[in-house]
Amino acid sequence: MTENWQLHVDAGQENDPVFVGVGEIPTGKFPDRSFIEGLTSVAVMALRDAGMVPRDIDTILLIPCLHSGADQADLVFSRMAEELGIHGSCKSSFMVHSGGSTSDNAVRAAHGLIATGHAKNVLVLQCERWGSADLNEMITMLSKNGIPGEWELPTGIQFNAIGAMIMRRYMHASGSTAEELASVCVTLRKWANLNENAMFYTKPLTVEQILASRMVADPLHSFECPPMADGACAFVMTSAGVAKKRGISSGVRVAGSGGCVSHYCLSQESDQAVLGWPLAAERAWNQSGWGPKDADIGEIYDSYAAVTAIALEGIGVAEKGEGARWFAAGHGDPGGKLPMNTNGGLLSAGHTGVGGGTALLVEGIRQLLHRAPAKRQVEGCERAIIGGTGGSYMDAQILLLERTKLGA
Amino acid sequence: MKTPVIVSDFRAGLAGGDLLIQNCHDCGKPNMWPRYACPHCQSDNLGWVKSSGKAVLHSFCVLRQGAPEGFEGDLPYAIGVVKLPEGVQLLVRLEATGENDWSAYGCDDEVEFVAVDPGEIERRPCATFRRVG
Repeated sequence: MTENWQLHVDAGQENDPVFVGVGEIPTGKFPDRSFIEGLTSVAVMALRDAGMVPRDIDTILLIPCLHSGADQADLVFSRMAEELGIHGSCKSSFMVHSGGSTSDNAVRAAHGLIATGHAKNVLVLQCERWGSADLNEMITMLSKNGIPGEWELPTGIQFNAIGAMIMRRYMHASGSTAEELASVCVTLRKWANLNENAMFYTKPLTVEQILASRMVADPLHSFECPPMADGACAFVMTSAGVAKKRGISSGVRVAGSGGCVSHYCLSQESDQAVLGWPLAAERAWNQSGWGPKDADIGEIYDSYAAVTAIALEGIGVAEKGEGARWFAAGHGDPGGKLPMNTNGGLLSAGHTGVGGGTALLVEGIRQLLHRAPAKRQVEGCERAIIGGTGGSYMDAQILLLERTKLGA
Repeated sequence: MKTPVIVSDFRAGLAGGDLLIQNCHDCGKPNMWPRYACPHCQSDNLGWVKSSGKAVLHSFCVLRQGAPEGFEGDLPYAIGVVKLPEGVQLLVRLEATGENDWSAYGCDDEVEFVAVDPGEIERRPCATFRRVG
């Protein structure tokens, strides 16, 4: 089945939406860094990176936080418009939310707003304080969110159990070993060791250490669980026409996107070793006109190793059943054939709730803008595969991004 | 809020030793989890059939730490997704084969529904399955 489902904006069009700036502050445990302080910092950084000031922004899209309902309400009720001093001129401020795939959907929202003229310059903001929140409170919250209370809560399911079930099915289907799954985490750690903003920047990690760590939910070890972290990032999108007028010579555009909402609760997923990736990928490749071999980097949601291995197979980067072994062979490492999750991913840069996917997206934009620090900038980076998934891996979302020249 | 009828009916089935599958009286298709309108034909003319109790284990895990609030005393426990020949699937608890031992279980194993004490269903209204053989 190939659908003729194309974007209505092409490269070179004045209304083609482009990413022009990013901002990020370190991820980890920062109990004394306030929520609004984090949001303000990344907003200012992203605007400066884009050569803009707050007054240039007409639309703010908010990525949700999970640590506090009150802080989330501040996002919903336009606090950032006031904090940035654009209340009065700001046209629209609202939240986009689909859990871990929010960033992909926020890009779709911004893309549509810009292409149609509803928005000119869009600022997307994310901040999370998971690392400083009460751990037990968060575990309990996560055992209630994305799980049907009346049907599944009584089993005692929680988030690591979901990751562990996917991992077990994936190991069964692919014949991957515990060592091969652990190697995914090791690749991510190598990238984190090149990212000063990553939670585990200074800490190396080996397969042996992972396999020696305690069993949390067989077959998942504690060092294979995502570390809950504080973090914030932001990005700016505008149209190619506006960017050119502002003297911006290159940006990043959306070549295509694809998605598949495969289930709400994991128990209703037909194959936990496949998920929604194949259909999402078919749609994305069809829209972009390029294929997995054309990509220079991948930034694909990695809250558990198996989740990313499964995604790589569905996207077509790795052969069926070979996702974990693809990592074990070093293909995603620094210097590998397709650098993967070059900020360290959720597993090693830190899991900032809904923000984990946003951080991967921001890293992809940064690489395509050629603005990553030299030690991890992928040379000649022109095309990126961005992958996200939310809830209990309810969806598979793919954005295919490419560097684009603007003006002369 | 009063417990919805589809929920209380399902739980009453478990307490009576039956695993009930919602069935549409109009199109005849099974639904799991139970729904308020049939996802196949949107009918609200819905009832129940008893499951055969047979299933195949799609995947499972043994949770050893980090239990949600109220489940700390249950640790360790195993949960899994089972696929029924009736064409539906659900999340269940798995019975240990020895003391805190689920090492005999594997993906695609044949499993069967186990009726548990109504008091336990009152406390944890979910289905339990065990390995066959």
